Amino acid sequence: MMNPLILLHAITAEVGVIAFLWVLVELLNPTESRVARAQVAAVVGCAALLFAWLVGGFYYVEVYGLHVKPLIQASEAAWVHSIVMEVKEHVFLFLPILATLATAMLYRFESELIENRDARVSIVLLSGLIFLLGFSIAGMGALISSGYRFALLAGGV
Amino acid sequence: MNTKALIRAAALTIVLIAVATIGSELSASVKQLFSSIGGHHWIGKSVLSLVFFGVFYGLFAKLFDDTFSIKDTWLLIASVLVSGLAILIFYVQHA
Repeated sequence: MMNPLILLHAITAEVGVIAFLWVLVELLNPTESRVARAQVAAVVGCAALLFAWLVGGFYYVEVYGLHVKPLIQASEAAWVHSIVMEVKEHVFLFLPILATLATAMLYRFESELIENRDARVSIVLLSGLIFLLGFSIAGMGALISSGYRFALLAGGV
Repeated sequence: MNTKALIRAAALTIVLIAVATIGSELSASVKQLFSSIGGHHWIGKSVLSLVFFGVFYGLFAKLFDDTFSIKDTWLLIASVLVSGLAILIFYVQHA
């Protein structure tokens, strides 16, 4: 059975990255109301990513390292831990920093974003980066789950 | 809020996460140092990334005026791509 913490981690992280896609869309052709909506989306996205960080971190340290990692490492899919999980757990650390920055910039510039093209493009680029990086990490998460299932089946569990 | 300082602090913190990640794999004592912060090396890196982000922002806010330039955003994006690739290539080579 899937650990509920994994489900919570995946859902909140995906809400977080989709919220930044929402920010990107709102800023393509900004008005005052679109900037206001983008601010709300960014706060939701930032909070969701920080929560996903806490939940995922707790699961990684308390469950994955003790029960999942040894099984994967003992299987033919050991690369799932030694490459995919290692990259995922470290690249994930970029996301809360980027999300905090994008949110802070939205509140710093506010309605100036309608006229200030460079600031607007910067937030659009950052939001796109958060979305792409976030979904790459989600794909890594799916690979790790598959690796765990493979290890369980290979071990006859 | 000083945007230039915030973007540069983010870029430097992300580069340092990559350096800490690779450094802790190459040196057991470095990994132990991170583990001593929160009981696990990943918690240590997580806590330090937040601390450094704050410290660098405070430092850069004193060093740079708040003149926003999109060049800083490109610098940050480059730091994300280079750091992410460095981590990926390191683990592929050492798997």
